[in-house]
Amino acid sequence: MLPKARPRSRMPALPGHAAAGHNVVCGADSFLSSDLVAHMSTNSKGTEIAAAGVSGQAQRLSLFGPRLLLEGEDGAAYDELVGRICAAVRPADVIDEIFIADIVALEWEILRWRRLKLSLIRTRALQALQDFLHRTLDYDLYSGHFAERLTEILQDNVPEDRPEDFAQTLAHACARNESDAVDQVIEILGGIDRDMDAILDGARAHKAEELVQQYVRHEPDVVTLVNQLLANAGESIDDLMADTLRNSSLLDYVERLDRLATIAESRRNASLREIDRRRAVLGQTLRRSVQEIEDDADGVLELPAAEGGNAA
Amino acid sequence: LTSARKVRANRANARASTGPQTTRGRARAARNALRHALSLPVGSIPALSEEVEALAREIAGPGANAETRDLARRVAEAQIDLRRVRHARHQFLSDTLSKEYYSYTKMRMKLKILRALLRPNPPDISTEALKFATSNPSLEGPDKLATILLEEAKELLAMDRYERRALSRRKFAIRAFDAATTGVNVTRTW
Repeated sequence: MLPKARPRSRMPALPGHAAAGHNVVCGADSFLSSDLVAHMSTNSKGTEIAAAGVSGQAQRLSLFGPRLLLEGEDGAAYDELVGRICAAVRPADVIDEIFIADIVALEWEILRWRRLKLSLIRTRALQALQDFLHRTLDYDLYSGHFAERLTEILQDNVPEDRPEDFAQTLAHACARNESDAVDQVIEILGGIDRDMDAILDGARAHKAEELVQQYVRHEPDVVTLVNQLLANAGESIDDLMADTLRNSSLLDYVERLDRLATIAESRRNASLREIDRRRAVLGQTLRRSVQEIEDDADGVLELPAAEGGNAA
Repeated sequence: LTSARKVRANRANARASTGPQTTRGRARAARNALRHALSLPVGSIPALSEEVEALAREIAGPGANAETRDLARRVAEAQIDLRRVRHARHQFLSDTLSKEYYSYTKMRMKLKILRALLRPNPPDISTEALKFATSNPSLEGPDKLATILLEEAKELLAMDRYERRALSRRKFAIRAFDAATTGVNVTRTW
C-alpha cells in the first residue's frame, strides 16, 4: 500500500534527481525546468495547456500526456481527480509524477467504461419498461392522450360550418366510447386515410413514454402505479432488467466494457505497485545512508581507551 | 498470346500512369498505407526525439554520468512512446465518434433488408425488422461509443498491444534506472 503522505521537506530525493527541496511536485512550483515545459508545451499539440481554470497539478501532469477527454466529458472533473490523486500519492520526483499521470488517465478510463456500462443498461432497462407499459396500459390511463391527439387531427378536418369546439367535443365523446361519436370520427378519419387504431397506439406509446420519464424522476404516484402494473403482470423491475441483460447485443457491449475496465484497472494497479516499489527502494537507500552516517559518526566519536582503566 | 500492338499500348499506358508526379503528390502517396505509424520507433521521429532528450535530461538530473543519462533516455523514450500510443487511440475514438453515421454492420443489415423488400416478390418481414430497416441510421451517445468499441475492437486491440509493450519497456527502464541510481537492485517480480 502507499505510504502515508509525508511533509515534502522530509522527502529525500533519489540519487540522480534534483534535491528534495526542489522536487515540489504538487505545489505551485514545478521541478521540471522551464525549457522542458516550453519545449513540450509547444512541440506536442495535445499538451497545450488551457491558460485559465487548470490547476497546477493538472497543468504539470499534462506534460506527460494531454488530458484524453472524449466529447462531452468534464475537464474540471478530470482536474479534480488529478488533485485528489496528487494529494494522496505525493510524488517525489519526475518518475513518480509519470506514474501519477498514468494513474489519473487510467482511473478516468475506468470511470468512463463503468459509466458507459451503467448508462447502457439503464437505457435498455427503461426502454424495456416503456415497451412493457406500451403493451399493458389500460385504456383509462391513456384515454386523455387519445382525446388530445384526436382533437388535433379533427381540428384540421371537420367542416368549417361547425362550431369552434366541435372537434374537441367530438374527440372527447369518441374517447368516452359514445357510439355516435365513434362512427362520426371513423367516417372523418376514413376520408383523410387515417386509422383509429394507429392513433390509439400512438397515444398509448406517448403515455408509456411519459410514465417512464416520471418513474425516472421517482414521482411516488407513478412509481406505485408502475409497480402495480408489473405485479399484475407477474413481473418486477428486476425481471425487466434481467430480460434486458439477456439481450445478446447488450451482453456483448457489457462484456467488452468490462474487459476494457479490467485492462485499465490492472495497469493502474501496476503503476501503484511501481510507486510502492520505488518508495521501498527509497527507504532502503535512506536506511543505508543513515547507517553510513552513523558508522562515520562512531569513528569520529570513538574515544581512545584510558590507560589501565575503564574509558567510561 | 498478347499481340505486339497490345503490348505497346500497355507499356504506353503504364508509362502514362506511374502515380503522382509532384513532390506533394508523391509525399501524399507515400503515406497511403500509413495507418497510425506506431510501429515506428520514437527515435526516428525528429520532433519526438527532441522531447525524449528534454525529458531524459529532467529524469537524469544535473551532473548525471553517462550511464545514468543513457538509462534516463530509455525511460523517456518509453514514456513518450506510451504517450504517442494513447494519443493515437484517443484520436481514433474521437474521430470515429464525430462521424454522424456510424456502424457499418447495422448499415449493412439495413441495406440487406431494404434490398430484399425491393425485389419483385418481397419476402414476409417482421414488423421489428421493418422498423429496424427504416429507423434513423445515426447512433448517439452511449450506444454510439459502445458500438464503436465493439466494431472497432480489432483496431483498438492492435493499439492496445503497442501500449502494453511501451508500458513494459518503461517499467523495466525505470527499474534499471532506479537500480543504477540507488544501488538497490530490484529482483522482486510483481
